[in-house]
Amino acid sequence: MTLDFSWLGDPLYQQWLITGIGTTLLMSLLGILLMLAIGIVGALFLHFRIPVLETITTVLVELFRNTPPLVQLFFLYFMLSSVGLSLTDPVTGRTVPLFSGFTCAVLSLGLYNGALAVEIIRSGLIGVPSQTVEGARSLGYTRFQTFRHVELPIGLRLCMPAMTNNVVSLIKTSSQAALVAVADIMYGATQIMVETFRNMEVMLLIWALYVVIASLVVVLMRRLTSMIRIPGYGVDQA
Amino acid sequence: MNSELRTFLLGIVGVPLCLLGLFAAVYGDNTGAMLGLMAERTPTLLTGSPDITSLDGGFLANIAMSIIAMAIAAVGGVILGVGLIAEFSIVRHVSDVVMNVLRNSPWLVVLYAMLYLLPFEVEIFGVYVTISPFIKSVIGLSLPVAANIAEIFRGGIQAIPSAQWESARSLGYRRLQILRHIILPQALPLMIPNLMTIYAMLFIGTSLVVVTGASDILSAAKVIIATTGSETASGFYIYILFLFFLFAFPIAILTRCLERRIGSVSL
Repeated sequence: MTLDFSWLGDPLYQQWLITGIGTTLLMSLLGILLMLAIGIVGALFLHFRIPVLETITTVLVELFRNTPPLVQLFFLYFMLSSVGLSLTDPVTGRTVPLFSGFTCAVLSLGLYNGALAVEIIRSGLIGVPSQTVEGARSLGYTRFQTFRHVELPIGLRLCMPAMTNNVVSLIKTSSQAALVAVADIMYGATQIMVETFRNMEVMLLIWALYVVIASLVVVLMRRLTSMIRIPGYGVDQA
Repeated sequence: MNSELRTFLLGIVGVPLCLLGLFAAVYGDNTGAMLGLMAERTPTLLTGSPDITSLDGGFLANIAMSIIAMAIAAVGGVILGVGLIAEFSIVRHVSDVVMNVLRNSPWLVVLYAMLYLLPFEVEIFGVYVTISPFIKSVIGLSLPVAANIAEIFRGGIQAIPSAQWESARSLGYRRLQILRHIILPQALPLMIPNLMTIYAMLFIGTSLVVVTGASDILSAAKVIIATTGSETASGFYIYILFLFFLFAFPIAILTRCLERRIGSVSL
């Protein structure tokens, strides 16, 4: 069995791969932002036990956590594309569908990993020492101010290790977007396979690419974790 | 009422209601007819055959795949896990690299790769055995899961105080004996909640095997949708979400109960 990587010399394939990497990274980045937003808002609802919203959050979190992200993506894609909203691109004047595969992929990534993030951030909030919270309260902070300036900043730092896993999981899950025709790395790979028939080589390269991206993100997140760490809160990471 | 029970009741009532609401929102007046269609196609979705005569695919295949993959991954994970805590630093580093690579690879990519890496058939003792998409999917799923299990294994072992190792050693036990007779009996209960979480993840991940051509629930759904029209797609996907939820949710709740009782491995 010999591996033939000569197709990598083709500028067209290189371009497909590079665009694919760009799309994957952009999709993951937007997904991460949405995930954090959902996670923080959801955790806030649960933390303050806001009557109706707490129940709704619990139900939605359980729904998204316990069902396959792929089916969620398919569902969003089929449902939202049948709704068929579109908006006009101000630059070119063309109408583009509002819910393209890319939007659906970002939404589904944000929702699935956001549901996981709600639990992660909540456990981070629980980990904030009660003395710190009481200290802030006795200094005259309102409950929301305490949350905003004391509990959330410390809680987010405490949940960084779990959040790293979640971010990596989001990047890995983003490969599913190729199944709704988003031109990410995976999609580029299938295109190249169709043209060159070097299935194994392409797949191995893609595998390596994802591992490299995920490993780099892990390193970055570790760096970030130790950079923003407040001494005295959380476990020491040498 | 403890918090798990409350979450369970909320989830088991709220999520189906939520999905039903979504269903009604998508189909409006046709909701009744669509629900009838779902009920009619349920045997196909569950078993892969319209009358429940043969079990070749559908949701049952997903369950079967997750169980077999978990068993394979458990064996692989323990071997890799022992490698992670080996005395030889080379073995340790190699295991560490293998674990990190497997853990950081997307399941979808691993499944695709298995499609091409594994041969079409293998010769075992002169008998040609065809490697079906089912087997390829199971192997593809078990690889990343094995890495996760290895990490849990290491975490569980490290959670046991090192004094246990030292006192056993002074009693004359060998390394593997200590692991088997002293450390593992204490560490295993700690690992159970994490293992269950991994199993739930694996089960949810079995939805990806549709790319290998194995006859799972999604491929069954695709066949059905091809005959009933694409406007029924949303309905079937909601139904599949519901099925996965019914299976995965009780596991998640049970995991949380256990976690509270016996704690878990921090990774």
